[in-house]
Amino acid sequence: MKKGIKILKVLVIVILFIMLLSAVSRLVEPKYATELIEGHFISEYYNEEKNHEVIFIGDCEMYSNISPMELYKTEGITSFVRGTPQQLIWQSSAILEETLTYEKPKVVVLSVNCLKYDKPVSEAYNRLTIDKMKWSKQKVDIILSSMTEEESFLSYVFPLLRYHARWEELTQEDIKYLFDSKENTYNGYLMEKDIRPVENLPTKRELSNYQFGDICYTYLDKITKLCKDNNIELILVKAPSVYPYWYEEYDKQIENYVEKNGIRYINFLDIIAEIGIDYSKDTYDSGMHLNLTGARKLSVYFAKILKNDYNLTDFRDIANVSAIYKKKLEAYNKAVLEN
Amino acid sequence: MNLVSESFIWFMIITTILYYLSPKKVKKYTLLMISVITLACLGWENLAYILFSTISTYLAGLCIEKGKNKKAILIGTVGINSIILIIMKIVPYINSKPEFNLIVPLGISYYTFQVISYLVDVYREKYSAERNFFHFALYVMYFPYLFVGPINRFDQIKQSLIKEENKKFNIESFYEGILKISMGFFKKLMVVSRIHVIISTITGDITTYTGAYALLAMILYSIDIYADFSGAIDIVVGFSKILQIQLTANFNLPYLATSINDFWHRWHMSLSRWFKDYIYIPLGGNRKGRVREYINILIVFTVSGLWHGANYILWGILHGIFTIFDRLRGDKKRNRPISIVVTFLLVSILWSFFIWPDTITSLKMIGSLFTTFNYVDMFQNVLQLGINLQNIILLLGCIILLVIIALNKSYLEAKMQNADITVKCTIVFLLISIILIFGWYGIGFDISQFIYNKF
Repeated sequence: MKKGIKILKVLVIVILFIMLLSAVSRLVEPKYATELIEGHFISEYYNEEKNHEVIFIGDCEMYSNISPMELYKTEGITSFVRGTPQQLIWQSSAILEETLTYEKPKVVVLSVNCLKYDKPVSEAYNRLTIDKMKWSKQKVDIILSSMTEEESFLSYVFPLLRYHARWEELTQEDIKYLFDSKENTYNGYLMEKDIRPVENLPTKRELSNYQFGDICYTYLDKITKLCKDNNIELILVKAPSVYPYWYEEYDKQIENYVEKNGIRYINFLDIIAEIGIDYSKDTYDSGMHLNLTGARKLSVYFAKILKNDYNLTDFRDIANVSAIYKKKLEAYNKAVLEN
Repeated sequence: MNLVSESFIWFMIITTILYYLSPKKVKKYTLLMISVITLACLGWENLAYILFSTISTYLAGLCIEKGKNKKAILIGTVGINSIILIIMKIVPYINSKPEFNLIVPLGISYYTFQVISYLVDVYREKYSAERNFFHFALYVMYFPYLFVGPINRFDQIKQSLIKEENKKFNIESFYEGILKISMGFFKKLMVVSRIHVIISTITGDITTYTGAYALLAMILYSIDIYADFSGAIDIVVGFSKILQIQLTANFNLPYLATSINDFWHRWHMSLSRWFKDYIYIPLGGNRKGRVREYINILIVFTVSGLWHGANYILWGILHGIFTIFDRLRGDKKRNRPISIVVTFLLVSILWSFFIWPDTITSLKMIGSLFTTFNYVDMFQNVLQLGINLQNIILLLGCIILLVIIALNKSYLEAKMQNADITVKCTIVFLLISIILIFGWYGIGFDISQFIYNKF
């Protein structure tokens, strides 16, 4: 009896300290609400009604350039951009896998920009993609495959181990968004309205190696197989970003791959005029990403391709979905009009 | 592997589980096996050198006991092991060719000192040679003390290391061990890491930071090296406590010493005793007159300086000279608080040879204490030394806490012994929580190796 009470006392203390440390951990974790907002993108999907027929996966070339609201407005397509900064191909693969546990889209669009990287780039980018992801087998996979040498798996399980030093720099944001963060995207699209025209086009700088890494092909194969197994049409796209330079050697490898696997590839850089993009006013950072006007043009153009070629539903006529999108559009249109 | 790394934490957890899951007769072999595997994982050369030392000393011990050519065997075995140690110590200093990269085996100083003490003791017939090779191997290769010591004597540690009785998991030992380990982490991650930043700033600019800044660096380094070294020992001793292995004590409130002579009875005690028993006494100790006694002291401290590295010879000699002064003064009555302060300042000034990269710079910095009086400037610029006000306050708080704990050590230990389990758990968890939240570790913080790792 005495021993039992002793054990009970210890248990109570352990639980109390775990609660205390969890609370501190929650407090010091970055909220990604008003600073480094890209870190919150991955989690915005979880609150969504899972009725998307098109899922976009990739890095900033997806979340800055494609606006699902425009796809809906133009053709009634429901879509979501599951984009995160510097998303690597194995991260894209796991994110697609995770998405498929929630819903089965008709089309998956993958940005090919990630094929350039066959190694984890930096801890900071990893954090922006992984931190706010829900725990799942896919999250474990992403962590294990993305960790740089300085990182440890435990610091993802217990964020306090990574962010403890933030006690010195806590702001009101950390209190305000302690339990709930701010949504910053419109179905995964990050709206930027500034204009910063392209001044110089990048010149081609010779690289020592243009070959995509083996690991990139392994994960591209995995994505292709996942889509085939689930009867999903996979489209590979290169966004119309003039920076960084996109090499013909990259394109050739992708063309070979899509030919072998019966997949579609669209390089929007080749059809800039057709889309109507004007780099003197459609970019907010001298050509790396499109601004709102550029993204609208690209999205309207892409919406037509998707509608014509992929037998997608026009959800504007479906009451329960259109009701949801009505609210979304109101917020989106309001943001478009805001200065 | 670093004692405050995730890998060492896993090492401790896995070792503890395997140790207590092993049947009582197998526990010591489990420990030996884990030590061998860990050493091998850290590089085969680590294992090769230590195996050579273990096997040569084990065989030499048996031969010495048989009595034939015992002196020659002793000199030969001690000589070979010492030469290996000396080569490992000297080569990195004189080697100018980067392609000739000698890997210094982990803990070579500590296990070489242990095997020498064993052989000499067997030669002196203090105890008999160990017959069981595995018992002896565990004495030499017990992994945790290869990092920073302490230097254990075979007769003192044998029972605790290899005994089979009363080795059931014990919650009291576990608690004491965890508390000790937590204190080690506290010293390293709360105190040492912050002080390092200030010292690096000061040593990074030897033209600006002289005088008062140099004195600040010296005082802080005294705290730094104590917290660093005793913190590492706390982790090793604490982990051993969990396994119910009692290691030799290495510190006894060294900064409460009233003289340099007293300091060396309190600082790195296992090394001081080793030097006394195996160098000072064989040289004649104080048995051959005053002059020989003082020469012997100087020899011992010079060797001690050399053991720390070629840059520290002068440091060793100066400690020797001050120890001789103490002996010359004899037992004259001293004012205790003043003696403590003077000794602390003297020890701090002598640490200069560890702070600045070479002897000349260290001497210049000591000289600047008497020529540059920039105390006002230092107090005005204290926030420019690499850490902000919050961290300075936190650092001061931690140092005060350590001082309070040190001054009330026996009282606190007695209190804790009788304390309720809830109090004990709360203290450990509180300590762990403070370290987890305020400790400097992880990405962005350079948790450098413990200072005494390199010796």
